[in-house]
Amino acid sequence: MSVLLARIDDRLIHGQVTVGWSRHLEPECILLCNDDVSADPWQGKVYASTVPPSISVIVCDRAEAAKLLMVEGGSRTILLTSSPADMLDLVRAGVSLPVVNVGGMHFVKGKAELHEFVWLDQGDLDKLRSLLEAGCRLVAQTVPGSRDIVIGAEALNTLESRL
Amino acid sequence: MIHALVVTHGGVARELLAVVESILGPGQGLEAMTNTAKSAQVLAEEVSDWCDAHLSGPTDGAVLFVDDMAGSCAVACRLIANRKRPVRVLSGVNLAMLLDFTTWRESLPIEELTRRLVEKGRQAIAILPHMSGED
Repeated sequence: MSVLLARIDDRLIHGQVTVGWSRHLEPECILLCNDDVSADPWQGKVYASTVPPSISVIVCDRAEAAKLLMVEGGSRTILLTSSPADMLDLVRAGVSLPVVNVGGMHFVKGKAELHEFVWLDQGDLDKLRSLLEAGCRLVAQTVPGSRDIVIGAEALNTLESRL
Repeated sequence: MIHALVVTHGGVARELLAVVESILGPGQGLEAMTNTAKSAQVLAEEVSDWCDAHLSGPTDGAVLFVDDMAGSCAVACRLIANRKRPVRVLSGVNLAMLLDFTTWRESLPIEELTRRLVEKGRQAIAILPHMSGED
């Protein structure tokens, strides 16, 4: 698969993806990588039903996603995970992702604010750090044209001191 | 008696309900919820809690109005409605639908009510003629 955008977004498929990014990137496929959604066919159907018919949707678990993503060429794809942990698993499985878009990690009790739409706990911080160490560039951005903010090690260290 | 929750992006739900109250007064069986700053999981939990609170006593069901049929509000509501009965999700919420809901929520069964609300909502979308009657 040819990954146009690798995005961490705890809402998975929603308007920012199906309208914002899809109009900009014109993907052929959205790959939703999430073990829970993959295990529940109804959830998968609900998410898939929100995508324009011109874009195919694959819902699968991490293992299957890694296999699909390592096939060279193929569909122009937006890859979605709901967490840094899932994205890191794909990278550790051998998937090459030079840039990871951090598109939405919303407030949950116990998390601290890195940016308005990026809230992290220690586990998230550790996984994002590991993604940086694996060579991924982390960019926080909700939709094309909105402010993009590079997330570096220093920003993560600063946030960690506030947890 | 059927209850309703309006779940939208930003402050759309809150403002729609403010307009309904300005026309009909408070206590119309409608509540507002936003998806702003909420993960899919948190939004679904809040919708689920609302459903539990409103389906626990004597009730004829609940309607979840959403703005965008393909957005996070719709996804959350559909996932919850699938597990709870009787709950229906209506997309494309507009003022006509909410005003009609308040009129009929006590007298129509939920299937008939929701069909009616969709029809009313669609009727409210039109190209209005010029006062002269000319194009």
